[in-house]
Amino acid sequence: MRRQDSTKTGSVLVWTVLVIAMLSLIAVETLRLVTAKYQNALQTSTWQEALLAAESGIDLAIVELRKSLYPSPNQAWESWGNPPGNEVTSHELTTVPNAGLSGTPMTIEAYVDAPSQLIDPTNSWQYYRIRTVGTIPITGPARASDNPQDTKLRRLSLHWERFTSGLLLPQHIDKPQVSRRIEAIVRPVSSFDQAIMSVGVVDLTNQNIVVDSYDSTDPTKSTNGLYDPAKRQQNGDIATDGQLIEAGNAQIYGDVATNAGTVSGAANITGIERTDFYQEPIPVGAPSWSTWNSSPSLVTGTTTINADATKGSAASRYTLSSISLSGNKTLTVAGNPNGSQTYIEIYVTGDISVSGTGQIVVQPGVTATIYFAGNVDISGNGVLNSNNQPSDLMLYGIQPPTDTSEHVSIGGNSQITASVYAPGHDVTVNGGGTNGHVYGSVVGKTVTMTGVSNLHYDERLGATGVVNNYKIVSWFEDNR
Amino acid sequence: MVSAFRRRSLSKTQAGYAITELVVSTAIFSSISLGLLMGFTSLERNYVATSDFSLNHADEMRISDYMAMDLRRAIAVQPAENDTTILIPAYYDQTGTPQTPALDSQGGVFYGASGSSVRIHYYLMAGTIYRQQDSAPAQPLAVNVQDFVFDVTDAGKVVTTRITFNPTFNSGGASAAATTATAFYNTTLLRNSRTDIQSSVY
Repeated sequence: MRRQDSTKTGSVLVWTVLVIAMLSLIAVETLRLVTAKYQNALQTSTWQEALLAAESGIDLAIVELRKSLYPSPNQAWESWGNPPGNEVTSHELTTVPNAGLSGTPMTIEAYVDAPSQLIDPTNSWQYYRIRTVGTIPITGPARASDNPQDTKLRRLSLHWERFTSGLLLPQHIDKPQVSRRIEAIVRPVSSFDQAIMSVGVVDLTNQNIVVDSYDSTDPTKSTNGLYDPAKRQQNGDIATDGQLIEAGNAQIYGDVATNAGTVSGAANITGIERTDFYQEPIPVGAPSWSTWNSSPSLVTGTTTINADATKGSAASRYTLSSISLSGNKTLTVAGNPNGSQTYIEIYVTGDISVSGTGQIVVQPGVTATIYFAGNVDISGNGVLNSNNQPSDLMLYGIQPPTDTSEHVSIGGNSQITASVYAPGHDVTVNGGGTNGHVYGSVVGKTVTMTGVSNLHYDERLGATGVVNNYKIVSWFEDNR
Repeated sequence: MVSAFRRRSLSKTQAGYAITELVVSTAIFSSISLGLLMGFTSLERNYVATSDFSLNHADEMRISDYMAMDLRRAIAVQPAENDTTILIPAYYDQTGTPQTPALDSQGGVFYGASGSSVRIHYYLMAGTIYRQQDSAPAQPLAVNVQDFVFDVTDAGKVVTTRITFNPTFNSGGASAAATTATAFYNTTLLRNSRTDIQSSVY
C-alpha cells in the first residue's frame, strides 16, 4: 500500500511540475513582452517631453528678445552672459524641477546669436538664430528598444550624451536621458504690421469705411508706388490686444483679430476672423541722443528745419518743446532741392497742434520721424507729405506716465499719408470727409476712425519702422 | 493454502484492476491532455494576437512620430493615402553638417542654395512602409504590414495623419469597426511658412 501511494503521488507531482513549468514559461514571456512595450512607451513619452523642453527654450529666447525692445532699463539678457551678436552667442541654462514624467527635472539650454548672414539688406534688420536643447531623464534601465527602427527615430542618450555644450560632442553620462535639439530663426516684426492695431477698442462704426492694402514697392500691387484701386490687395488687417472691434460693417479687405474678443458688424470682411491675437505693443521711450541741433527749440511761427543726407546725424536731430501752428504759419521740413534722400528726426517734448491754414510740409526726398510726448491735434491744412509715402512720415507717441490720458487726433482737408504708432495714446483719425483717403497704418491705445471713408495700408510698412516683436520664420529639428 | 490462495486472489484482483485503471487513466489522461492542448492553443493564439497588436501599435506610433517630425519642419506637403511627400529645408550639407542660414531677397530664410529643399517620401509597397530621403535608400519603418493604411489631411497650417491596421484577434478577419478602433491620429502644427500654398495666416 505504501508503494502504491508513493507511485500515485509521484504522478501528480510530475503533472503539477509540468503544468507549473509551462505556465511559468508563458508568464515569463508575457512579462518580457509587456516590460519591453512598457519601456518603449515610457521612452516615447520622454522623447515627446524633450521636444516640449526644446521648444520652451525658443520661447525663453524670444522673451529676452522682446524685453530688449523695451526702453532701458529692460533687464534683457541679464542672466545670459551677454547680448547676442555676430559670432557672439548668448547662453542660458534653465532647469525646471518636477516637469517630466515621474517628477524628473526638465533641462533647457538655449543659445542665441546674430549671424551677419541674417541681416536683411533692405532695411538692415537683424534676424536671430536660436538653438535649443531640451533634456529629460529616462526613468528605467539604459536599454535600447527591441526594434532598431525606434532607435533610429528616437535617439536616446543611454550611456553617451549626444548634444553637449550645444555641439555634437559625446560625453559619458551616468543615467539615461533624451535630448532633442531645435534651430529656429526669428525675424523682427514691424510696429506697422497691420493696417490698424490697438491695445483696446477699435471703433470704425457708422462710417462705411473701406480698408484695404497695396504695396508701394511692387508694381503689380501699386502704380508708380501709389495706391491703385485696380490693384487692391487683401492685407488690410485689423487687430486688437483687447476684446472688441466695432467694425460697423466696414468693407475690410483683410483679417480681423481680437484677444479672445468679439467683432461686431463683421459682415463685410474678406479674410478670416481670429481670436488668438496676443501681442502687447512695445512702448516707445524718449530718444536718448547725445547731441542734436538745438535751434529751434520751439515752433510757433513759420519755420524751416533741414534734413540731412546722413541718417542719424546730429544736424538733423531736433528737440522741440512744442509745435503750435495756426493762421498761415508753416513748418517746412526741407530736404535737398534735387529731392534726393534725406532724413530728419524731431523730438517734441510737449504738444503738437496744427489748425486752420497752419500746415506741416515735408518736402520731397525727406524721411521724417517725429517723436512726441504730449498730445497731437492736427486739423485744417494738416500735414503735407510730398513723397506720398506713409513710410516717409512716421509719428511715434512716447509712452505717457501711468494713469495719464493722452490723445492723437489727426485730420485735415486733404488726404493723410502717414504712419502713427502711439500705443499709449487714444488715436482718432478724422480726415478727408466722405472722399477722404488715409494711406498708412495706425497703432494706438484705442483707435477711432471718423469722417474717413478709406484706409489704404501700404504693405511696405511691414518692413519699416521700429521693431515691435519677433516672429519665427524658420524651424528645424536637428535629429542627427 | 492460505498463502497460495492469497497469491491467486491478489493476482486476479491486481490484473483486473490494472485494466480498469488503464482505461480510466487513459480516458482521464486524454481528457486532460485535450483540455490542456485546447487551453494552450487558445493561450498561444491570444498571445500571438496580443503581441501582434502591440507590435502594430508600436509601428503606428513610429510612423506617426516620423511623419510628425518631418511635418513640423515641412515647407511643402503633398498628401495622398499611403503615398505622401514632404519637403523640408536643406539643413545639412553633403557631409551631414548643419549649414548657416541665409536670407533671400524677400526676407525668407533658406539653408544651402536658395530654393533648395530635401524631399521626404513616405509610401507603402509590398507590405512595407518606407521613408525615403531624396535619392538615398528607402528606410523601412514597418515591415510585414500588408494591412496598414495611412492617410494625411492637409488643412494648411495643421496636418492630420491617421494610421490604422487590421487586428488579428478574430480568425475570420477584423471587422470594419475593429479596424477603425485601431486608428492612431496625430495633428501636427507646421512650424515653417509653407512655400506651396498662400495664406494670410503665415
